[in-house]
Amino acid sequence: MASERLGEVISMKEEVIKKACSIAMKAHKLPEKQLYLVEKNRGSSDVIFSFPGSWTISDWFSRSPFGEKMIDPHPPQFASLRSIGNDQVATVNEAFLTRFQAILPQLQNEVVKAVAERKQIVFTGHSSAGPIAVLMTVWFLENWENFIKSDPSTSRMPPICVTFGSPLVGDFIINHALRRESWSHYFIHFVMRYDIVPRVLLAPLSSLEPELKTILDFLNPKCTIHIQEPTREASALYVTVMSNASSVASHAACHLMGNTNKLSDTLLSFIELSPYRPFGTYVFCTGDRELVVMKNPDAVLQILFYSSQLSSEVEGPEIALRSVKDHFNYQSELQNLETKGVAHFDNLEGLPLSSNVGAAGLGLVLNNLGLSTRARLCLCAAGELEKQKRRNQDKINKKKTDIEKGLLALEGYKTRCEAGRVSYYDALKLSKDTDDFNANVRRLELAGIFDEIMEMLKRYELPDEFEGHREWINIGTRYRRIVEPLDIANYYRHLKNEDTGPYMKRGRPKRYRYTQRWLEYALKISAGSSGESCFWARIEDLCLRTINMGLFEDVKEEILSLEKQVEKWVQNRELGDDIFFEDSTFVKWWKKLPQQHRSGSCISKFINN
Amino acid sequence: MNQFSLFSSGIELANLVVSSGLLKLSWDKISELYTELNQSEEIRWKVYQQPQSNCIIVAFVVSPNCTKQLLEEEELVPSSSLPFFHFLRTEINSSFSISKAAVTLFDSILDQLSSFKDRLGNSISMIVTGHCLGGSVASLFTLWLLESINRPGTKRPLCITFGAPLIGDKGLQQAISQNLMWNSDFLHVAASQDLVPRLFISPYNPNAMEIDSQTGIYKPFGIFLLCSEYGCSSLEDPEAVSEVLVAMDLEIARNKPPNEQWHMIDYGAVVKRLMSTVRFKGISQLSEMIECPLQAGIVLQLQAIGLNRRQQSGASNLLIAKLEKCEKALVLKRKMVFNPFKKLNKRKEDMAKLEWYKKVSKSEDKGYYDSYKNRGLKKDMHVVTFKKSLTNYWKEMVAEVERMPQKEEASFRTRWLYAGTNYRRMVEPLDIADYYKENGEDYKANGRSQHYIKLEKWLEEAGKPLSSQVITRKHNVSASLTEDSCFWAHVEEALIQCELLRNGQEEESTRKKLIRFEEYVMEQIKEYAVSPEIFLGGSSFMQWWKDYEQIVGTSYKSQLTDFMKSLLYQQYH
Repeated sequence: MASERLGEVISMKEEVIKKACSIAMKAHKLPEKQLYLVEKNRGSSDVIFSFPGSWTISDWFSRSPFGEKMIDPHPPQFASLRSIGNDQVATVNEAFLTRFQAILPQLQNEVVKAVAERKQIVFTGHSSAGPIAVLMTVWFLENWENFIKSDPSTSRMPPICVTFGSPLVGDFIINHALRRESWSHYFIHFVMRYDIVPRVLLAPLSSLEPELKTILDFLNPKCTIHIQEPTREASALYVTVMSNASSVASHAACHLMGNTNKLSDTLLSFIELSPYRPFGTYVFCTGDRELVVMKNPDAVLQILFYSSQLSSEVEGPEIALRSVKDHFNYQSELQNLETKGVAHFDNLEGLPLSSNVGAAGLGLVLNNLGLSTRARLCLCAAGELEKQKRRNQDKINKKKTDIEKGLLALEGYKTRCEAGRVSYYDALKLSKDTDDFNANVRRLELAGIFDEIMEMLKRYELPDEFEGHREWINIGTRYRRIVEPLDIANYYRHLKNEDTGPYMKRGRPKRYRYTQRWLEYALKISAGSSGESCFWARIEDLCLRTINMGLFEDVKEEILSLEKQVEKWVQNRELGDDIFFEDSTFVKWWKKLPQQHRSGSCISKFINN
Repeated sequence: MNQFSLFSSGIELANLVVSSGLLKLSWDKISELYTELNQSEEIRWKVYQQPQSNCIIVAFVVSPNCTKQLLEEEELVPSSSLPFFHFLRTEINSSFSISKAAVTLFDSILDQLSSFKDRLGNSISMIVTGHCLGGSVASLFTLWLLESINRPGTKRPLCITFGAPLIGDKGLQQAISQNLMWNSDFLHVAASQDLVPRLFISPYNPNAMEIDSQTGIYKPFGIFLLCSEYGCSSLEDPEAVSEVLVAMDLEIARNKPPNEQWHMIDYGAVVKRLMSTVRFKGISQLSEMIECPLQAGIVLQLQAIGLNRRQQSGASNLLIAKLEKCEKALVLKRKMVFNPFKKLNKRKEDMAKLEWYKKVSKSEDKGYYDSYKNRGLKKDMHVVTFKKSLTNYWKEMVAEVERMPQKEEASFRTRWLYAGTNYRRMVEPLDIADYYKENGEDYKANGRSQHYIKLEKWLEEAGKPLSSQVITRKHNVSASLTEDSCFWAHVEEALIQCELLRNGQEEESTRKKLIRFEEYVMEQIKEYAVSPEIFLGGSSFMQWWKDYEQIVGTSYKSQLTDFMKSLLYQQYH
């Protein structure tokens, strides 16, 4: 344990960390109008960008209770900060986002220049500048491909983000998305054991407003008036933040431990819990000679609470004051970075639970971080959940052969139908032969497998990386294109549209909605543009709406745009040309369209007149 | 090695409750209400609106004098004389009893509560709280609310009692615990120095024991938040709650002088202390080496509630083992919770197979009803197996919904109600075939399974879908299933009646029945509610028609006979 150095564990040079820290502190002293600081040393390969913190409360909380805001998906500045299948966008602190947006236009060119010079880009920030560094880094990662595309000679070195005593930035989706993109390890957060700032957003504004205001004034390095040590406010702030952090941590722990009790949910209709959650790699400084590196975000959340717990009443006022003062102790703490012991926990389930005083090794480190047995049980549970997610993934991976078998069978069915000049869509809709019946059973078998996957995704029971796996995106796409037409055929065969509504509105299963989003996200194409697998549902819908052709003008636009899409889909082989068979539902319907329209249509070339 | 480790989250849940501030909020109202209590009053209750929120707190207190007197009362009232709580009875659990003291207090303010309940909107978050016997009344009031709580869009109330005595027997415990949702609507705070919560379960209380057994009549339900000067923990499993309450009683008895006078506990001080413990590590330390997280969690829990301080004693080890067993059982129970989605696709496969069977039978000019009834072929035998798995699935589904009405989850409900109706229309005819094959009579009265009745009732409650328009039904009739899933039972009855007539029995009433059957069939045909398959050559319905035509003779005329004789039925599709 002691033999490893921090730089090795997080693959980042100690010097860079120290330099980042000093520049992050220096940025606080920038004159008002200067929004960022760039540090380039001649001969050095890295460029460090840092930002000044802000010490007015409205720059932390834009509003009650927690000042969070959903990321606006239009235009998608942070297109990747979302959960893909669930179609859930991340929530971030509005005040930090606003500040980021004010700085970005000025900084942008400077960053592009540094990239062109093949420099290692480092974004850093202390205190409320931490979130700015984080958002800059995400912005960089989102645009990284573009940088490379526009100038292939640019650096392919990933950026680094280092924060010191940063408040939390956004909700759990940030972690989910960064992990899926494999960006998570570019973010390193240093947190002093007692520093109150990384915890402060776990409490609602109304509970701490006056105290936080005083404390921020006290912390403001630019504040010229001498302020007495705010002992009373520090204590009040500490108590408030701890009790709110405790609620958040316990609520999360119940989930980690597999408690499905509804009480913890019922409580949520009476109280408000902070949505903010950690992400990236955390380095906790015990204030002694050890550093604790933690990557599991659930475990980090627990540590944020538990490491600040008191051993006794007497400690109270002292620790409260320390929780404020430690916020400015990062530079001195990291002075002897090279000599510090580093503990990192890859195997959280095996933590020593007993908090005996005489403990050595990991036990001692955990003691020095102040983690009680209760805290360790929460960490174990976090590790166990992570393991469970991996087990779920293994379970699903094992089904690949079954999926392959099912898809081959249905592809065979499609080919056999085509040999008889019938679209498999129409064949299943009629279901005359045993082959049709067997195809329907296959469809249901596959639905069982995919529904299970979707259910797990919905509950976040799979590793965050799952929706980023190319292989699964491909399987999902192949599955969607071959099987969804059969689902639609079955839907309209049973006239479910009459009880439930059109397929597209009410009947489309998650297994297709999710897999379509996977592909559209992976290809960076707009939502809905890969709707070829729903072709038949749109036709069925149009059939019903055009029973009386007098209404043609009403649906003309829709038909024209569909025809354009069909042309593209067929040319790209995303849609089979079996839709053009003479007796297909589609052709029969299309031939009833006004002659004038048909003769000018872009798809008339496909149809035998 | 175990494939995965289990955890006991009792401490975390308790901590969440404490740090949420809801205990303080509730107790503040109770203590405010105590100051308003008149000398002459037995019970007082009040509704407090929370500022700037859609939350109300309903608090109950009972005068100390009255409390003292009523706590002597251990008699129970059977559910048969508690009409308000009849909805708690189920097929499995048909009766229960509630403490007479609690019921008497509840009855004394029933009129007021009733008018308050009627005025309650759906969107209100409500905490129902009370101290000691006031807590008992709070529990009863919350129980009463449960009946209407499953309506869509209704928020769940939260009942928080402080130092309340147990109020019901095993029957009540089961009625509530079988529904995990209900069980977690009740949170009972019990301090270790408070005798009241364990009064009726205490081994030292001879009155609380059943004569022929060593266990008490009273049983806990809901979640218990047990606290001591060291901390607190919550327990969910009723079995575990009983164990721990008894253990606490023994522990206290050992440390306190006997015959100590009963006194009211100030939960204000208890809650305040608990809230301050949140920021302390407290005794949540473990000095012994325990590797199993579940066991470690339980040891911490017992320490938090003031038990197991002398470690390694035989009694405490026994208790730890018992609690471990309870936790494991709870996890298993949660896992076993019927998940309808899990097997839905498998059952859809069965339905697809049945549908195929129906199709094949049709091509044999028989209809699947009669194919199945006269089954002799292998394919008919296959049907028996997947019919069985379908029936098991839906019986379980219906039982689950019975236990836990899911009406609030509207989308869930539409999804399975559609499937359930489809199932009923497809499979019930097969049950009818079996029933009459074994010479049963009057299926609807004697043979029909409850789950079909329920499924049909729920469909009626859900209202008519679009397809109820005759014109659309006409359009689709050949693809649809017969809507009345008991259609074939009516046919079978009519066949039996024809047989009776041929044998010259019960002339008048039997004829009347047959005329009613005619009218019924004609009605179905006009509505396009029966499948054209009933007119297939080999169907029992056509068999009936042949019999009937003979019996009534050529001079008889009715709508149905016209329809049949003119062969109009051949155009019915």
